[in-house]
Amino acid sequence: MASPCEVHVGDADRTTAERAFAVAAAEARRIEAKFSRYSSGNIIHAINTAEGRPVVVDAETARLLDYAAQLYELSDGKFDVTSGVLRRAWRFDGSDRVPSPEAVAALLPIVGWDKVRWRAPELALPRGMEIDLGGIGKEYAVDSAAGLVRAVSSRCLLNFGGDLLALGPQQDGTPWRVGVESVSDAGAVARHIDLTIGALATSGDSRRYLLKDGTRYGHVLDPRTGWPVVGAPRSVTVAAATCTAAGMLATLALLQGAGAEAFLEAQGVQFWALR
Amino acid sequence: MQLKRRNAALREIGTPLAAATCALLGQSAPGVVEAQELKPWDIDSSMLIYSESDGRVQDLSLNVWGRKELLEDKFLGLTLGVDSLTGASPSGATPANVVQTFTSPSGNSQYAVAPGAPALDTSFHDTRVDVSASWEMPVARLGLLSVGANLSDEFDYTSAGVNARYARDFNNRNTTLSFGLALANDTVSPVGGSPIPFAPMLGVGDARNKDGDQSKNVTDLLIGLSQVLNRHTIFQINYSLSQADGYLTDPYKFLSVVDPVTGNPAAGPPGSGRYAYLFEKRPDTRDKQSIYALLKRDFDGDVLELSYRYMTDDWNIDSQTIEARYRFNFGANRYLQPHVRFYQQTAASFYNTVLFAGAPLPTYATADQRLGEFDGITLGLKYGQETASGNEWSARIEYYTQSGNASPGSAVGALANLDLYPDLNALIAQFSYKFGRR
Repeated sequence: MASPCEVHVGDADRTTAERAFAVAAAEARRIEAKFSRYSSGNIIHAINTAEGRPVVVDAETARLLDYAAQLYELSDGKFDVTSGVLRRAWRFDGSDRVPSPEAVAALLPIVGWDKVRWRAPELALPRGMEIDLGGIGKEYAVDSAAGLVRAVSSRCLLNFGGDLLALGPQQDGTPWRVGVESVSDAGAVARHIDLTIGALATSGDSRRYLLKDGTRYGHVLDPRTGWPVVGAPRSVTVAAATCTAAGMLATLALLQGAGAEAFLEAQGVQFWALR
Repeated sequence: MQLKRRNAALREIGTPLAAATCALLGQSAPGVVEAQELKPWDIDSSMLIYSESDGRVQDLSLNVWGRKELLEDKFLGLTLGVDSLTGASPSGATPANVVQTFTSPSGNSQYAVAPGAPALDTSFHDTRVDVSASWEMPVARLGLLSVGANLSDEFDYTSAGVNARYARDFNNRNTTLSFGLALANDTVSPVGGSPIPFAPMLGVGDARNKDGDQSKNVTDLLIGLSQVLNRHTIFQINYSLSQADGYLTDPYKFLSVVDPVTGNPAAGPPGSGRYAYLFEKRPDTRDKQSIYALLKRDFDGDVLELSYRYMTDDWNIDSQTIEARYRFNFGANRYLQPHVRFYQQTAASFYNTVLFAGAPLPTYATADQRLGEFDGITLGLKYGQETASGNEWSARIEYYTQSGNASPGSAVGALANLDLYPDLNALIAQFSYKFGRR
């Protein structure tokens, strides 16, 4: 999952802790192997190399694709699992290499969930298009692993690269203390949040951006234009019952750009934005 | 449809999103979330020992700074400092080839200085307590305003001040412009009264040369610009203007009056049992201007800080400070930081090592070595480490050496063989601890 995964177990005994960790790690590895676009031989690879032919998917993949379709609709097209190909033009390495408008425009014909034919269990991508479930995968893995870990212990906190879920408080009833990293000072903590139960997910571009002629291009791309969203906060943390919902709200908020905070306020969720 | 499009940013999607997420995760109903932001006090504390060689000034200083977010993005800051000063401080008198007897500032006792020895006032001791409070809040999206007040009190000195600072970011937060204003009102209540300028030192119990309390006002203005030059470099430049008016004289400093040929101390007032020493007199206004430039650059995680300050005032003191620090980071949580500082200043126009008997009195005069010409060098090393719990401690040790002109043009006769500006060496040790983040 290209980021550290931790399981904190509030129960005192070692066996429980080891079992909880083993369950979570196995589930994280399973989801990564199944949905990573970097692996070959998995369902994503099969879909992306089908050259326009329909692919029949399993039930879990179908649920994720249904979810992706709903997010596309709810976000008016701003959340799009087919937008990954834009990375061919955009490399957010902190440099000033902003792509030419032509290079970006050339990719737009192969971006857009509306061009995809999805009738469960059959998915057909037009030739040249790709899907990437990475925008949902990490949060989904947290929730999915949490569902399995619950059978071992409810005094657990799962942290997959900054997306977290607490099944319940620590053994003595105290909440888990979570630090949200500062956007200006790497490693420094900007906020502390006490999490008793539920999930926290953070989206941001504090490391991944381009800087050219004084303009900062964050890594959140609007798939409708192929260009970065302007004016978004540097980091958004959202609290929700599930990590997936929290993560999607944080991502959708960044996609609103300058309106991120207003969007989250309208959703009535607890959030923390850093600019 | 048109309306829906226009309000897309504020579309309520929480409920359908929660339902979709439940379907994805195979849950029958959304669970619960219980999260709360924690707003702890951030505390910095430090203990500093400043120790001058040869039994001169010793200072033990304890400081605590606290900061807490009381309301969203609004911070309260509080500080408390306690200083305890002891030791001997130069009185301004020159050494002589004879035993010199001085009346203590209180006027109730006297002390003697051996031939050739520097004239140090050993009765110097003080305890200072200072407190301050500040309030910091955002102004619109890119501005930050902070206002504060401070009070400091010691045995013979009280200072009360207010300050305000406004900073605004521009240019994608790559540029910050800041303005600061500070006003202070100080009351000086010297031990034994404030000396009448140019009055002679008198014998024990004779207070005819003393007056009541004095006061001064200080206004400081600052304009600063900080600019991110690239991903690794920040440049900052500040201009500051300081205007002081009122009692700017040091009530404990005086000048020796010597024979213009022999350099020996002149006779003091009849019956005083003292040689001739006159209390100093400084102008009652002082305007200072300074320019400070700082360049901070990151080298693969290590950080270089280079700074230069130029100060000039209407007492004709010009000073320059060049300072460099380099922070070597070892892993994520340890660092070592060497520090070097060079300081140089010219003398105030009314700085005199001595006054000559029979010569007309100048308008102003001081023999306070801090207003003379001198160079100073500081060499230091700091080590810091973050603890497993996220707190941080650091230890710093520095050595300071200062030298002035030991044999100026005014060193006539006997003075030519005496050290009129003894070198000053000091050791500074500090231990700091930051906590409260977790």
